[in-house]
Amino acid sequence: MIQHIKVHEVLQQSVAGFYADLVTRPTGRAVRESIERALPEGTIAVMDFTGVGCLDYSCADEIVAKLVREKVRVLLLRGTSDAHRDAIEPVLLGHGLAVVWERPDGTLHVIGAREPAAALLDELVAQQVAARTPGGAIALTAA
Amino acid sequence: MTRLVEVPGQFDDRSFDQFAAAYAQAAAGGERLLFDAHAAEWASPYGLVGLLAAGEAAGRREGGERPLLTVPASAEVVSYWARAGFFREAADLFEVHGKVPKTKPATESEVLLPVTPVRAAEDVHAVVSTIQQRASAILAKELGLDPKATMGFAMALSEACQNIVEHAGAGGWVAVQAYSWRRKLARRVVVIAVADAGVGFRHSLEPSQAKRFGDRWGDAAALEAALIQGTSRFRDPGRGQGLAGIRRYLARWEGKVAIRSGTARIAIVPRWDDDVPLRDGLAAFPGSQVLLIIPEQGSAQA
Repeated sequence: MIQHIKVHEVLQQSVAGFYADLVTRPTGRAVRESIERALPEGTIAVMDFTGVGCLDYSCADEIVAKLVREKVRVLLLRGTSDAHRDAIEPVLLGHGLAVVWERPDGTLHVIGAREPAAALLDELVAQQVAARTPGGAIALTAA
Repeated sequence: MTRLVEVPGQFDDRSFDQFAAAYAQAAAGGERLLFDAHAAEWASPYGLVGLLAAGEAAGRREGGERPLLTVPASAEVVSYWARAGFFREAADLFEVHGKVPKTKPATESEVLLPVTPVRAAEDVHAVVSTIQQRASAILAKELGLDPKATMGFAMALSEACQNIVEHAGAGGWVAVQAYSWRRKLARRVVVIAVADAGVGFRHSLEPSQAKRFGDRWGDAAALEAALIQGTSRFRDPGRGQGLAGIRRYLARWEGKVAIRSGTARIAIVPRWDDDVPLRDGLAAFPGSQVLLIIPEQGSAQA
């Protein structure tokens, strides 16, 4: 079963003050801890960034990298902007980690370190969470 | 007795070492300091936040009285410093002498972010939120940056401010301005200046890095470790990404980053600039001072 995380909602619930930006370590830590409490270990999770403004490296590290490293089996990012991925990708590379990124057209791609990236889409297909489309791309079978 | 620290007439990162030398000399004794800015004709954001850092450090010295500050003689300059938010912060640090206009910090196009204190994560949130509202049009229309670059700009600003919260052990200030840089570039630039009077990079990194550098350890080595090698005082492998991210963002837009801390200054120098990559043996100045410059894209040569 896929777990769904709406990052903007978690941000609103985790931090005092109405913020749309995921910046600073304390904010990232608070958001990650909220997510961790609701997330079974070794799960496949979709993390939706819709509504999130600025994402800095500190939060990319605290939330995305630490969840991939310590909690989830496969993390799929949805609703990310170019700027979000600009923050996430170097952090993943620094840790030797990778995540799946869902484009607006629904096709799945991997970002991050090459070695773990190769296995991620295969894992989603093997779990029957994703499948090849007639065009040869890979997309989720159920969002 | 009062010791005089002269504020340079053109007060920016280039003249900062002259100011730091005057500060170091005057602060060596226990006397009260007088920062004399009456002849100041212009100050960059770097000069303004650097002056606040000096004021804080001066007042914090053992037995140090709150320092004095004489405001610029030029009404136009005083007005600009007021609109840039300088005096709002200076009032807590200095005994200010001279007439200061009761002006609210500006919302004019040049002052993207008036001098703003940074003490905690909440301050960084406020800064990032403000800058996204104010900077987008300037970055896109005046500097020719891709509109998407605004988010990267906010990210770089966030990381620069977080260095204060995470490492300085004291509060600091940030200011962001856009202006025409005729002298150097003949084009417009956006400048982010961040300064604190905290412990500085060497002290912050010493427990984890000093042994690795051996005899070479000092302010210059600490700056090199932080900016070039991306090391952090924290063992967590995800740390040290912030300055690397700033470097990447500035490299994409041909920008410049320079950090002064203690007795050293390091810079990633773009081709339009002739700054020195690393200077050591400068006059000691407390804390860290960070300068980020993003030039208008592609319209002029160095």
